[in-house]
Amino acid sequence: MLIELKDVNKTYNNGQPLHVLKGINLSIDSGEFVSIMGASGSGKSTLLNILGILDNYDTGEYYIDGRLIKGLSERQAADYRNRMIGFIFQSFNLIGFKTAVENVELPLFYQGVSRSKRHALAMQYLDKLGLADWAGHYPNEMSGGQKQRVAIARALITQPKILLADEPTGALDSKTSEEVMQLLGQLNREDKVTIIVVTHESGVANCTNKIVHIKDGIIGQIEDNREHSASAFGINTTMK
Amino acid sequence: MRFDIDSYREIADSLVRNRSRSLLTGFGVFWGIFMLLFLMGGGQGLKQIISANFTGFATNTSVMIADRTTKPWGGYKQGRRWNMTYTDVARLKIMMPELETVTPLVSNWGQEAVNGTNTVSANVKGVYADYSNIEEPIIKYGRYLNESDILHERKVCVIGKRIYTSLFPDGGDPCGSLIKVGPVYYRVVGVDYNSGNMTINGSADESVVIPLPIAQKVYQRGNNIDLLCMTGHNGVKMSSLEGRMRSIMAREHNFDPQDKDALFVINTEQLFAIIDNLFTGLSFLIWLVGLGTILAGIIGVSNIMMVTVKERTTEIGIRRAIGATPRDILSQIIMESISLTLVAGSFGIVFAVLLLSLMEKIVGSMLTDVPVTPNFQIGFWTAVVAAALLTLLGVVAGLAPASRAMAIKPVDAMRDE
Repeated sequence: MLIELKDVNKTYNNGQPLHVLKGINLSIDSGEFVSIMGASGSGKSTLLNILGILDNYDTGEYYIDGRLIKGLSERQAADYRNRMIGFIFQSFNLIGFKTAVENVELPLFYQGVSRSKRHALAMQYLDKLGLADWAGHYPNEMSGGQKQRVAIARALITQPKILLADEPTGALDSKTSEEVMQLLGQLNREDKVTIIVVTHESGVANCTNKIVHIKDGIIGQIEDNREHSASAFGINTTMK
Repeated sequence: MRFDIDSYREIADSLVRNRSRSLLTGFGVFWGIFMLLFLMGGGQGLKQIISANFTGFATNTSVMIADRTTKPWGGYKQGRRWNMTYTDVARLKIMMPELETVTPLVSNWGQEAVNGTNTVSANVKGVYADYSNIEEPIIKYGRYLNESDILHERKVCVIGKRIYTSLFPDGGDPCGSLIKVGPVYYRVVGVDYNSGNMTINGSADESVVIPLPIAQKVYQRGNNIDLLCMTGHNGVKMSSLEGRMRSIMAREHNFDPQDKDALFVINTEQLFAIIDNLFTGLSFLIWLVGLGTILAGIIGVSNIMMVTVKERTTEIGIRRAIGATPRDILSQIIMESISLTLVAGSFGIVFAVLLLSLMEKIVGSMLTDVPVTPNFQIGFWTAVVAAALLTLLGVVAGLAPASRAMAIKPVDAMRDE
């Protein structure tokens, strides 16, 4: 198993203690395309943060590729994030004063990859996502879909074990949303990238092969969705 | 820490992005370092100009002048006039072996010196040859008075620079010429170019120096002398001898040894100490003002970096999410702070150096009568130390903002939507 969560608990202690995750058990295999679905307040963002090593959990165990992720130093955590996890955010989170290619290069910069090498690699990934012509443009010169593709290139460039997408279509219109989801599906099929999408949209979840429902900090139903029939709007659609 | 060309480009980018803000912040540092260096250079030049006034003047000299008594003593009333005499010279020499030179001075002010049709007003100073130990002459032509001049009572003189230029407007060596000073003709044997402003009984510039026995006779001074000048041997503190001098003189001339006003004693050592203190105070002030200004600039940098960090919370969060360690963030912020400080400071150093060399030129051409050209420029190592100091201050300025930046969690990037 690539990802294994065993009885993970998380409580926020901001004034009122808030028990957000109440014993999460979840296994995700390499090459899976999974969505985690839940309403706001269900704990899905917290789960994502823990999966992405952005946040700590209180009790339980979390393994990535057999490696226990617990009590890491900031430095180790940064290193694991850099090498094992690629992030795609709802608001793209590109750095505004850097061009597309510079944004894609950034994770390699923090790995200490040489300048020419990371530039070549970043161009290669941009090309793969059909953005080679946009390499020198700044994020504010691009459309939402393009920005998200740059963000995907940035997430992929370190060849992470897991691609974590937090509401990747949240800021996109329906047509671009569909394109992005199809792109993720394609990456999963052709490059065997393990992708976890966190969303509250059933249409988005329907594009994935497995849907994990989370409610009030507990994993509910885990749906096998290889038929892509979960959407209320029918097969093969991401309609919002 | 990882650094390559991109790191530097990024620093340059982020400073240029907020151009006016960087400029204004940098100006504080620029002005601070400029002020410090400029004041240091200026103070040094000023000190040299003022010190030039003391050139040729022995630093451990005492001068004695007789004045009216203010206390009754030995049957005499107060307010009595008395005079120092010739014999006091030998007396002090014998009784105080610490003294190297004891030499009297008789002077007559406002004499007219004449050479042909040229005239100039002059002070006549009658001295012994060893007076040169007190006011060291800078001989341009000829020589100073010697023992033989004194012994044979030759009518010879050494003239100051102004007398020379007034009486001999065509220049050239005046030695051998006869000039008339007051009622008597003297042969010129030397020209003294000493133009220090520390003088005894009139500036050397405007003096005609003649053998003391001649002065006594020409001006009918009998045995009386105006001044007694003394220097001590090496390592002797003249101020510590003052009490004994007073008691020796008081016993001989019948006045109260406690009567400070009857005998006026000046120690140049004390004057020099006052001037030294003045400059110590001045340089303290320079440092205070300079460092204070730099500090204000540095606090400005720190403040702006604080704002920058706050503005860039999301960006820093993103960087952390994609693998920047806290150290990467720390070094980025500190490097930005150092760069801003160092670039602005370098301009300050360069500007100070340029302005000081300009000042050196202008003042140098203005002060023609001062024997030294003042040196305003700061030293090379001062500039290097200043640059090192700037780097250090850059680090200090970056510390608080960097620690705030390090506290930013990657989750903050996503929360800030």
